[in-house]
Amino acid sequence: MFERFTDRARTVVRLAKTEADDLGHPVIGTEHLVLALLAEEGGIARGVLDGAGIVHAEVRAAVEAGDDAAALRSIGIDLAAVRASVEQRFGPGALERAEPAERGGFLFRRSKLPTRFNNGAKKTLELSLRVALSLKHNYIGTEHILLGVLKEERGSGGRLLRERGLSYDGALDLVRAALRDAA
Amino acid sequence: MTEANDLAEAAASADPRIGLRAAVALRRLADALEVLQVDNARRQGWSWQEIADALDVTRQAVHKKHAGRAVPRQEG
Repeated sequence: MFERFTDRARTVVRLAKTEADDLGHPVIGTEHLVLALLAEEGGIARGVLDGAGIVHAEVRAAVEAGDDAAALRSIGIDLAAVRASVEQRFGPGALERAEPAERGGFLFRRSKLPTRFNNGAKKTLELSLRVALSLKHNYIGTEHILLGVLKEERGSGGRLLRERGLSYDGALDLVRAALRDAA
Repeated sequence: MTEANDLAEAAASADPRIGLRAAVALRRLADALEVLQVDNARRQGWSWQEIADALDVTRQAVHKKHAGRAVPRQEG
């Protein structure tokens, strides 16, 4: 489905993998697509995001805070302390190795499993195509990926953007304006 | 004391997203600890029945969940 992607949109998809790798996340989700859109210089999506005051470092910090360590801390469990106690007896990395393979890496986000897109990210890329078609565009650019992320209502990427004040309708208006200016 | 307060706070959190996220993380941690200690027990020669009793599940359940896994030798 990538044949209609612009070079920049392809770069965003590739960067999403880099973003996931950097965070040690084994699966690419919509949040990594958002980080990739924020990392790619130029392009319509980046312009819209910059205009909305959404910046890479802050969103990345929010994604990182969504890790299990933070979730466990919210109920008073110190994952680092649990790990230290386990490693004292069973050696370094013992807890990571004990994590069931099918879940591999979620607990500590350090899996060596091949990176792949989760269902939300796949659906988002499909929605990007649909958004492009509805706008009568014969290509998929970064702006369509951005709109796809926002259209996928259950994805964490869309939530991150909505929490920062960017709605689907708002983004669509900004994308249309940017395309008008470019024309 | 602080931890107890945090726990009470999160347990009573009005935001289901925070509470449910914590439940998921806790389940993953519990699963990893179970794998680690079942392997440990096997290395020490425990029977499946003994492990099942300790885990408060049936022998069939623990066998189905853990018997297919090669027990790694202890490292470190």
